Amino acid sequence: MNARNQTDFLPLAGMLEVAGAGVQVPGRSLLQAASVQFIAGQVTAVLGPNGAGKSTLMSLLTGQRQSSHGHVRLAGKALSAHAPDELARLRACVAQETQVAFEFTVREVVELGRYPHRRKPSLNEADVVQQAMQATAVEHLQHRVLNTLSGGEKARVHLARALAQVWAPSQDQAARWLLLDEPTAALDLQHQHRMLQLVRAWASAQGVGVVAVLHDLNLALRYSDRCVVLRDGQVVGSGATADVLTPACIQEVWGVVAHPVLAQGGAVGTRQYLFEAPVQAA
Amino acid sequence: MKADLSLLRRRDALRYFSLPVVSAVSGVGSLSATAAQAQVQALAKMPRIVSVSGATTEIVYALGAEKQLVGTDTTSLYPAAALQTPKVGYMRQLSAEGLLSLKPDAVIGTTEAGPHVVMDQIRNAGVKVELVEADHSWAEVQRKVAAVGRATARVAQAAALQAKLDAQWAEVLATVARRGGRKPRAIFVLSHSGSPQVAGEKTAAHAMLNYAGLDNALISTGSANFAGYRAMTPEAVVTAAPDVIVTTTQGVEAVGGVEKFWQRPGLELTPAYKRRALVALDALYLIGFGPRLPQAVAELHQAGMKAIA
Amino acid sequence: MKIVQHGDHRRLPAALVLGAGVLLLALSFVAGSARGAYAISPLQLWNVLLDMLGGSAQPTPEHLVFMNIRLPRLLLGVAAGAALGMSGALMQGLFRNPLADPGLIGVSSGAALAAGMTIVLGSLWFPDMPRTLGSWTLVAAAFAGSLLVTMLVYVLSQQDGVTRVGMMLLAGVAINALAGAGLGYLTFLATDEQLRNIQFWLLGSLGGARWSAVALVCSVVAVAVGAGLALAKPLNAIALGEAQAALLGVPVERIKRFAVLLTALAVGAVTATTGIIGFIGLVAPHCVRLVAGPDHRTVLPGSALLGAALVLAADSVARTMVKPAELPLGVLTAFVGVPFFLLLLRHFRSRL
Repeated sequence: MNARNQTDFLPLAGMLEVAGAGVQVPGRSLLQAASVQFIAGQVTAVLGPNGAGKSTLMSLLTGQRQSSHGHVRLAGKALSAHAPDELARLRACVAQETQVAFEFTVREVVELGRYPHRRKPSLNEADVVQQAMQATAVEHLQHRVLNTLSGGEKARVHLARALAQVWAPSQDQAARWLLLDEPTAALDLQHQHRMLQLVRAWASAQGVGVVAVLHDLNLALRYSDRCVVLRDGQVVGSGATADVLTPACIQEVWGVVAHPVLAQGGAVGTRQYLFEAPVQAA
Repeated sequence: MKADLSLLRRRDALRYFSLPVVSAVSGVGSLSATAAQAQVQALAKMPRIVSVSGATTEIVYALGAEKQLVGTDTTSLYPAAALQTPKVGYMRQLSAEGLLSLKPDAVIGTTEAGPHVVMDQIRNAGVKVELVEADHSWAEVQRKVAAVGRATARVAQAAALQAKLDAQWAEVLATVARRGGRKPRAIFVLSHSGSPQVAGEKTAAHAMLNYAGLDNALISTGSANFAGYRAMTPEAVVTAAPDVIVTTTQGVEAVGGVEKFWQRPGLELTPAYKRRALVALDALYLIGFGPRLPQAVAELHQAGMKAIA
Repeated sequence: MKIVQHGDHRRLPAALVLGAGVLLLALSFVAGSARGAYAISPLQLWNVLLDMLGGSAQPTPEHLVFMNIRLPRLLLGVAAGAALGMSGALMQGLFRNPLADPGLIGVSSGAALAAGMTIVLGSLWFPDMPRTLGSWTLVAAAFAGSLLVTMLVYVLSQQDGVTRVGMMLLAGVAINALAGAGLGYLTFLATDEQLRNIQFWLLGSLGGARWSAVALVCSVVAVAVGAGLALAKPLNAIALGEAQAALLGVPVERIKRFAVLLTALAVGAVTATTGIIGFIGLVAPHCVRLVAGPDHRTVLPGSALLGAALVLAADSVARTMVKPAELPLGVLTAFVGVPFFLLLLRHFRSRL
């Protein structure tokens, strides 16, 4: 595929690569021989219907699952070859749902994001935490107990924590990564857009690589540079989002009819879709 | 940490020295008015005793030394006056500080007193600790009397008491020996807490049965001899076929009365049931091996005879 | 004093809480030194202290009672409370559940079973060795028992080389039940005297405190508590979940192993010497969290301090309430701990 060739010449330091990796559980395979490359400085959306293997792919990237075959490499090194502390400074993950025990406040949870930096704290740890909270608009909640917040507020707190975790560029200029599993699931309309705007800004301005599992194809079209489409545990498309998400692709993978609409205004006209269920065959 | 309490030793010496003087003045065992007066004065210098065994407490009272008794344990229930003395707790769970706060000069009891650590602490504080080995023999009672005599500094009175008790004992043994014929079969049931148990060899109860001329039916008919206590099973009881059941009044109370006692499985099939031959005596009296031992044996012997009469 | 009040809770700053903890412990220690069945007036106590420093040729009875009986007992109480308090906090952090306590992983039941076996069956094998509270036979057996049972629970919770905390909880419950059944059987076999010994052991007491044992227990506990403080930050991260903590770089398996080991050692050593002292491991961390929030950097040391203070307070009452006899400590820890807990609950919770 064209997209693949373009990445062949990018430096390894900015690459998160999954090559021929698959995950089997007794009885079925969750993911089959996926080969995907994620590029730092770009937002890559991971898309697909339920059960397509999106979370499984994410779990390979976060190291929570080991691939039965193939490998996962960050900056040219296998994940397991990185020291855990080092990895933690380069890669922050936000799960779909995080159960926090006890009554930690928002601020304390965001501060936990700085754990990997405890041995070499920056000069202004408090500032980092403050700014991270400001970035996701949870600063006004900082003394509230996390477990008393709404789902959307919690999601923003965990994103703030992840931002704090990879706040500053690392010493050796290795790319930083944000892996987000359905970050917009609980957010209201405004915050959905704000959050994706934020991570996109981080990607383009700071060269952070963002991988986000999204359900909303329109959000993916608007805010991601590239995407990976999965179905039934297989990668059925990857490349620039606008190129991959054609009505035909959408119909085949999601089984819905997509009517393209060109959004008016904005710096670049962004294609969006209106969806409808296909007419049932008689 | 052994304490070098020359101070206390001096006090002891003074006390023991004064005793013969007092005795000489008052006359050991005499109850004349002047003697009593002198005794009261002398009591202030007599050794303070804590008794952590029911039997030794009884002996203290028998020696008339109750004014020297500054504390007892929870098993010291006789005579009634003993219930009014400060209680230092159960004899196996004594408190070092508590005991020492009574400022005793001596502690007397059996080797069951504990915990060990606490007894060591009390010894190290300079208190004389005399613990008598319990081997369920008449010698045990004699040792107890002698120990109490020493501890209360009434050695001569103790000897006199001993002589009296020896005579009683000899009489009882003779009575038992005189009685010919079949020995009544008995079992001893202990049921203070939870499931009832029966006594085998090497128990105070077993010794009592033998002294009283009764056969411990569990031993003579059992397939294997057992020592200590064992859970009471209906089969064992029926096989033993006792003529009389011996137990403690506390045990009968615990189960809710004599009628309830007999309802225990297996008991209704024994020869003892037909005549309702149940002997229930106070625990301390029956198996405490104190100064009332001769009377307890006599009572037990009579009850056994009545059961097969 | 700055009590930060936010919407749904109040919190005191960490330094204040820890300072209060130290103060509370010091007060309990001083009060415990002054109170006891054996009357020692403050003046006599002062003289004893001077003697200790200066060294005197003629130790008074008060001196001996304090040095040989009361002081080792106070130190054992501090060690016991600190071990139980902090281990409770460790277990709550490990299981991410405020209802956890050290007994969950089998430390107490293992010690109890071993103690029961020593008391009842030991008479067959070691008839001459003393088997009462504080005797070395019992201490060694109970310690071994607690370590063995904890190890069993730990091994049962391993799956694919990972310690599954959920399985540890279930294994702990199961093994505790088994140990309880074993103890029940021993109770059935026991004679009256043995039964009494077991019961007293299960209720706990600081009465078995002699210097040799106390020195040993205090050293073990001091090391364990010191090492445990290092687990504060990792446990904070683990509150986010083990997966998330691992992603933050926390060596989760090592932390779990270490927490279990420290708990087994500290609580095992204490339980072997004192019998079962309940409630402290559960309630001390709660109280600290109520007042200072869940940050383990405050909760771990705070629980140790508060646990020690509570044990000393409870023991003070145990020693004096029915003098010259003594109540078992386990009875008192709840009587003292619960009102304290309820008081804090009322004051620091505007809304439950």
